[in-house]
Amino acid sequence: MLVTQQPILKRFWYPVMPMTELAAGPRPFTLLAQPLALWLDQQGIPQAVEDRCCHRTAQLSLGQVQGDAIQCPYHGWQFDGSGACVKVPQLESASSPKSYQVKSFACQARYGYVWVCLESPALQPIPEIPEVDDPGFRQIQQFDETWQCSGLRLMENSFDNSHPQFVHAQTFGIQADPVPPQLDAFVEGDYGLKVNYRLPVYNNDLQKANLGMDDTALTVRISEGTWYLPFMRTLKITYPNGLIHLIFTAATPIDDQHSQVVQFCLRNDTEEQAKAADIIAFDRQVTLEDKRILESTDFDTPLSISVEQHMTSDKPGIVMRHKLAALLKHYGEEEQGQNSAPPPQEMAAV
Amino acid sequence: MKVTDHAVFRRFWYPVMPLAKLVDGPQAFVLLQQPLALWLNEAGDPQAVADRCCHRTAKLSLGQVQGDAIQCPYHGWQFDGSGTCVKVPQLESGPIPKSYQVKSFACQARYGYVWVCLDSPALQPIPDIPEARDPGFRQIHEFDEVWKASGLRIMENSFDNAHFSYVHAGTLGSIDSPTPASVEVFDHPEGLRVETLIPVLNPPEQQRNLGLSDPITLRQTERFWHQPFFYRVRITYPNGLVHVMVTTTTPIDDQHSQFIQFVYRSDREEDAPAAGIIAFDRRVTHEDQQVLELTDPDAPLSIDGEEHMVSDKTSIMMRRKLAALISADAQTSAVQN
Repeated sequence: MLVTQQPILKRFWYPVMPMTELAAGPRPFTLLAQPLALWLDQQGIPQAVEDRCCHRTAQLSLGQVQGDAIQCPYHGWQFDGSGACVKVPQLESASSPKSYQVKSFACQARYGYVWVCLESPALQPIPEIPEVDDPGFRQIQQFDETWQCSGLRLMENSFDNSHPQFVHAQTFGIQADPVPPQLDAFVEGDYGLKVNYRLPVYNNDLQKANLGMDDTALTVRISEGTWYLPFMRTLKITYPNGLIHLIFTAATPIDDQHSQVVQFCLRNDTEEQAKAADIIAFDRQVTLEDKRILESTDFDTPLSISVEQHMTSDKPGIVMRHKLAALLKHYGEEEQGQNSAPPPQEMAAV
Repeated sequence: MKVTDHAVFRRFWYPVMPLAKLVDGPQAFVLLQQPLALWLNEAGDPQAVADRCCHRTAKLSLGQVQGDAIQCPYHGWQFDGSGTCVKVPQLESGPIPKSYQVKSFACQARYGYVWVCLDSPALQPIPDIPEARDPGFRQIHEFDEVWKASGLRIMENSFDNAHFSYVHAGTLGSIDSPTPASVEVFDHPEGLRVETLIPVLNPPEQQRNLGLSDPITLRQTERFWHQPFFYRVRITYPNGLVHVMVTTTTPIDDQHSQFIQFVYRSDREEDAPAAGIIAFDRRVTHEDQQVLELTDPDAPLSIDGEEHMVSDKTSIMMRRKLAALISADAQTSAVQN
């Protein structure tokens, strides 16, 4: 599936960057091949418009914020969050032509991140994560970076209990025990999936300190993974000592080959018990182990089950593929892949 | 001509890397746009398979060698040199499904390099190098690097007696004698054979390498082109020294070639240290690379496509032979279809 060729994917909310990135001025982001200019209005609410001035196509994101508006760096035209041109400095009269307009997109702040939906109304709300508002939890922002892989590969990886034994053998996977655990529960929803399982893991020294498990080399992660179609998940890990480490990960689709990986975690312990820097350091090792492998995979992840080989533990990924295929079908779309049609130039040559 | 447009180029053996590179573990190489994972089995024989696991498409070349097999870095599935999945660590019982299979390619070691042929049987064997079998010769590995040039341009350059005076004015060519040496071209079952006597400058650096103090010397050369991209020249100097140079330009894609060069010499390390020989050939090859990377990688096989002069005779014959090879292959394919 090539994400930029499936218009229905525009009807979901995606986190694009931490809110703090906008404090210093406008920023660009490309979502599903749509370049965006993002900024904060005077109330601190994020705004998103297409990143091309309607006058001479300069990138608005190179400009400055003026009040509620973004000012084009080329001739100083100003656009508000609805994309309307609210000031043309060269015009002596107050009103500017109605055609001076750029496209705008739904945008909101949530969980400390800027979220954008390219085509409203969204099919699903932004996922609810109750622990964010629970005073017993602290939130730690972890990663915000571009990976050269498809979001679906990363989602499948997150629910794949056969990969830690190999990919994470240096951090928590037990290579001597490659047979994955049976799932305790597997519940499908229209727009997602919930999976419960217990995964035996190895604790390295950093993780022993992070988990408050000084003498425990082996432990078990009581895990609840939730997939939010298309490219978000939470993994709520409860350790035997009651510690909860809940990870939110989004693989926001930039284009067919790249995803913006946004990850934060929620913990029911305190900074005194485990330093945020150490928690980030461990999860950094783990995510880099995944990144190395996932960036080697084919970004054109097929929804058809006949293209790749599978094993029992691939069930969550297979269900994800089925659900995405069903979504496309429901909205009248065919899955587009690299092999689904010859590129236009080749057809012309024939 | 774009090499990836013609399936016939898949039916030749190409060196892809020094065998020594595989000692530390698997490596990746792209041959005619086909990504390959390469490794050594327990007997030390190189193996080549498609660089994508059939399960979740991870690159096998990022994995590890386990016995005779390569182990995928993602879930530990193991594949042998025939591309068969021989181990799935997650499977507790039962046979491994037959569909767990990756594509494999013919692969062998020769002259200290790993050679691959994408579509067996190959149309020609790996070219013979008589000096490799001669104990009177030592082998020196020189270069293994990517050039942004087509293999055909580099092959033509190797037979082009008119470029020395310009491209190699800094090493062995003289701008004062631009008239190229004449050649005798003979047909060869695998390509062409060319004999020439070439006067070249012999700068002090090279005088030490050759044990010859003359400022100008004569290269008695016998040059072989094995289609499509294998060049061997046997140079005999007036003092009897023989310098055999092998240059191969393995096609990575339409714009890039893996430039591999090695040498056989009739002298000894005490006569001329390998480092000095490599240093001189390094300067010469850099002079070529600088110019060849500026040429159009889509070298036309049709003689109308570019202008020519008398000294281009060998290169014109190469283009004709490659055109005939492509057309014969197209006819065979048409008959088969």
